[in-house]
Amino acid sequence: MSKEAPLSLAERDFILDAVREGVRLDGREVDQLRPLRISFGREYGHVKVQLGKTSLVSRISAEVTKPRDDRPFDGVFNIAMELTAMGSPAWENGRQGELEPYVTHVLDRVIRHSNALDTESLCILKGVSCWSIRADVHVTDYDGNLIDAACIGIMAGLQHFRRPDAVVKDGQVIVYGVEERVPVPLNITHKPLSVTFHTFCDGKRVVYDATRKEEQASEGDLVMGINNAGDLCFVSKFAGAPVDAMTLITRSSVALNKVKEINGMIDKALQSDLAERAKKGLAEESRAENDRIIA
Amino acid sequence: MNPPDNGVASFQPVHRPDGSATYTCPLTGFNVLGAVNAPIELPARRDALKPEEATLEVFVKPATSSPAVGERYVEGILRNLLGAIILGREKGFPRRGVVLTLAVLEGGDSKATGRGSSYLTLLPALLHTALLALLSASVPMSMYFTTTIIAVTPSGEIICKPSIKDADEAASVHVLAFSSKGHLLLTESEGSFDFDTWEKVHDRALTICHLPEEASAGNGKVEYAVGSTWQKWLAESVEDYIGFKYAYEFA
Repeated sequence: MSKEAPLSLAERDFILDAVREGVRLDGREVDQLRPLRISFGREYGHVKVQLGKTSLVSRISAEVTKPRDDRPFDGVFNIAMELTAMGSPAWENGRQGELEPYVTHVLDRVIRHSNALDTESLCILKGVSCWSIRADVHVTDYDGNLIDAACIGIMAGLQHFRRPDAVVKDGQVIVYGVEERVPVPLNITHKPLSVTFHTFCDGKRVVYDATRKEEQASEGDLVMGINNAGDLCFVSKFAGAPVDAMTLITRSSVALNKVKEINGMIDKALQSDLAERAKKGLAEESRAENDRIIA
Repeated sequence: MNPPDNGVASFQPVHRPDGSATYTCPLTGFNVLGAVNAPIELPARRDALKPEEATLEVFVKPATSSPAVGERYVEGILRNLLGAIILGREKGFPRRGVVLTLAVLEGGDSKATGRGSSYLTLLPALLHTALLALLSASVPMSMYFTTTIIAVTPSGEIICKPSIKDADEAASVHVLAFSSKGHLLLTESEGSFDFDTWEKVHDRALTICHLPEEASAGNGKVEYAVGSTWQKWLAESVEDYIGFKYAYEFA
């Protein structure tokens, strides 16, 4: 199978009629997000995102490499996303479908090109060594709105991740292990997130966070990348029916509210996880006794 | 022998694939998510399809890098082993595909999943996840299997269920898989060892993996540490899942 099973005519008509009356299949408002759950793994930068039935795992990793010749002061940041048959039977392993390049492009634009991660802070020694940060996204369940879910996963991962400390001593780069020195958080300049809308009824109805079925029934999509300060860093209207200019303006203010709301959720999840970690770390350190076998 | 912790398995953690399972290995910390789609049409591989049986596709995805030679190597091992036990000629399977996707979500420590390091420590976790996912997708199989990893220290001591550190320091590392009938299905070894050592490792692995005949016959007089075998662990995991899934029928 290389395509998602298409909607039946009856199903499509039902969704369209419902949206025309402002009702959605799962009873949400048109501007309402599905229940979002963000949780963290044992390691730094391991994030699990569950958005309705869409779920994914994002992993951030760091290694020391040589910077690019034309940019000796910059570190490297890459986003890798490969869709496997795990997320949906319509995706084939090792073969790019239509969705993969599109999603990767949007993520690249929203997060990497907007300089959310300050790559200059990743430089260790000019032209010799720098950090290479890699964000891997594993899609485990696909039920629409992959772009927003992946964006949340990567941004939460970047804020959660701690890289090992590295110093330069007499022209030598020393990387300290996690046990030797407290690992350093990444330098995040701003927190952009993507907000995806789908249009119905000749652009008259615009729906946020569409499920897979709603995506299939929609006429077109509209993706915005926006940060907490309201800076619009990405707008795309790749395909589908045209969108009115006024819609674009009204939706951007909706998008700003959504980004603030989601960033709030990410912050809350991060804080509770860090508090948990601090508690565990302190308990470990404040133990006075040594490990010894008591017979 | 104390009943060792064989790890945690859960069935159907994701919704889209036909069958899925996760497995967490307690000692190495590997967390693998497996998904199976079967039987499924493979339109792009028409030329590669065998007319009389199912084509098995295995894909291993590492946590923080792109798939490379190491993954291709274990994919080959998995394909050979699973290809031998999946009944690809059952009704509905010929000319279709069995697509198995395994994602390593968490690896023991970052060093273990790095480039060029040994894949043997990960292999049992991958094999167990694959089997559980296939069971959850109800793919017909002629038998099931259990697998274990054993390390031999330079002084000749045999360590069952070694941690990653143990495996790094060992003189040789062996992964063995046994069928439900107790036959040897797979042996992968690394390092230097002689035949006697391998024989010892084989006997040890068999007692860890396989539930002896008497125990499964149920006459009660068993000297083996039955509670610790992989076979029992597997049976219990599947039983729990079926009990949960078909609770309405048992009630």
